[in-house]
Amino acid sequence: MWPIKFISSSIGKKIIMAVSGLFLILFLCTHALGNAAIFVSSHAFQTYADALHSLPIVVLLFGLGLLVILLFHIGFGINLFLQNKKAGGSRYAVNTRVIKNSFASKTMPYSGLCILLFILIHVFGFNNGPADIKISQLVKLYLSEFFYSVFYIFSFCALALHLSHGFWSMLQTFGINHPRYNNGIAKLTLIVPAFFLLFFSGIALYFLTGLGASY
Amino acid sequence: MSDIDLNLQIWRQKKTDSPGSFQTYALDKISTEMSFLEMLDVLNEKLTKEGLDPVAFDHDCREGICGMCGTVVNGVAHGPEKEVTLCQLHMRNFQNGDTLVIEPFRSRAFPIRKDLLVDRSAFDRIIQSGGYVSVNTGGTPDGNAIPIPAPTAELAMDAAACIGCGACVASCPNGAAMLFTSAKVSQLCLLPQGQTERHQRALNMVETMDKEGFGNCSNERECEAVCPKSISIRNIARLNREYLKAVLSEG
Repeated sequence: MWPIKFISSSIGKKIIMAVSGLFLILFLCTHALGNAAIFVSSHAFQTYADALHSLPIVVLLFGLGLLVILLFHIGFGINLFLQNKKAGGSRYAVNTRVIKNSFASKTMPYSGLCILLFILIHVFGFNNGPADIKISQLVKLYLSEFFYSVFYIFSFCALALHLSHGFWSMLQTFGINHPRYNNGIAKLTLIVPAFFLLFFSGIALYFLTGLGASY
Repeated sequence: MSDIDLNLQIWRQKKTDSPGSFQTYALDKISTEMSFLEMLDVLNEKLTKEGLDPVAFDHDCREGICGMCGTVVNGVAHGPEKEVTLCQLHMRNFQNGDTLVIEPFRSRAFPIRKDLLVDRSAFDRIIQSGGYVSVNTGGTPDGNAIPIPAPTAELAMDAAACIGCGACVASCPNGAAMLFTSAKVSQLCLLPQGQTERHQRALNMVETMDKEGFGNCSNERECEAVCPKSISIRNIARLNREYLKAVLSEG
């Protein structure tokens, strides 16, 4: 059976990590697009949220799809981490990394864990808020709180770190590596994580600093 | 020309299943014009004269083309100089009084035979599973019968520069053999002669690579950085494409 052979091969697992990673990046884009309404007004954000939730089937299907993709990414990630630990591990008395800026690639499992913790807290927090508070007010309530906001910003840093290796790594796994495009890819690998870091941290800082007081 | 004194810490291991440990050796007045292997020769001569067991290490051509030599020096495969094998590494890269920690190329798929000598036959088995072109013999073909664009020929030649030394595996944090396998797949799949077995080659070589106990590539790029022949990870990207195409059509 070729699909089983595919997912048990080393390259197959890489490709699954890359494809699920791509879907997760696309999700982040739609999430950012929706959240952009926050910068317009609380009314705009509430309208967006109401419009989204007026289609419960769509929310359910996308939610489930996203969960499956996330589970694939995490499951295969853990599997690769354990396998590689066995195959590589600390096998030398002196360990020297020749590549500079290897911090992101070395810490992929750990930055991933930080993001997972964030997702759990984020999803739980916004699904279990006080019943009488609208989502557009809940975001202000949460993010005006110092520790909550700082935790969010820390998580976005972990996300940016994860993407600063993950984005390039994904394209390499898809086989996209060509002298003509490599400079552009290197730039995108900085721009994409920086965008998500600035945008999402911007929301947290918007409320934390009081800029969004009249939101 | 100058001489330097060195302090060597070398991994000594009697055979595959015996426990190993680091032994310290002081080596004085090593000419900086010597290659790393000549320095080890001096050590071995000294050890032999003292009635001790010389350090076993692999070597053959000593001009960087055979792929036999290689150890990890202070954590870097083939030592600190870029794009050279251990035999081409000169002692002028080191300072008087330096301590050199010399370890074998370590990988689950490369069992240590003795001291710094490892068994890299896992690479041979990867080649045997598809790193060839089957051609039935016939009349001598005309050299220009199959036109190949020069850039393609160059890419294939760049991949074919791989000498199979195993530095990529030794330096990979995951002990993956992707750079080696991708170079061997690339040198054939780029050329018209390699098309016939193209898909089966990618499938079989990757399968053997996984079976031999190498780790999974996670794009750490250490392999490319230590490769004495500067094999590019562009080959790994190509292998990823090759494998995906092959698994979807013939897997």
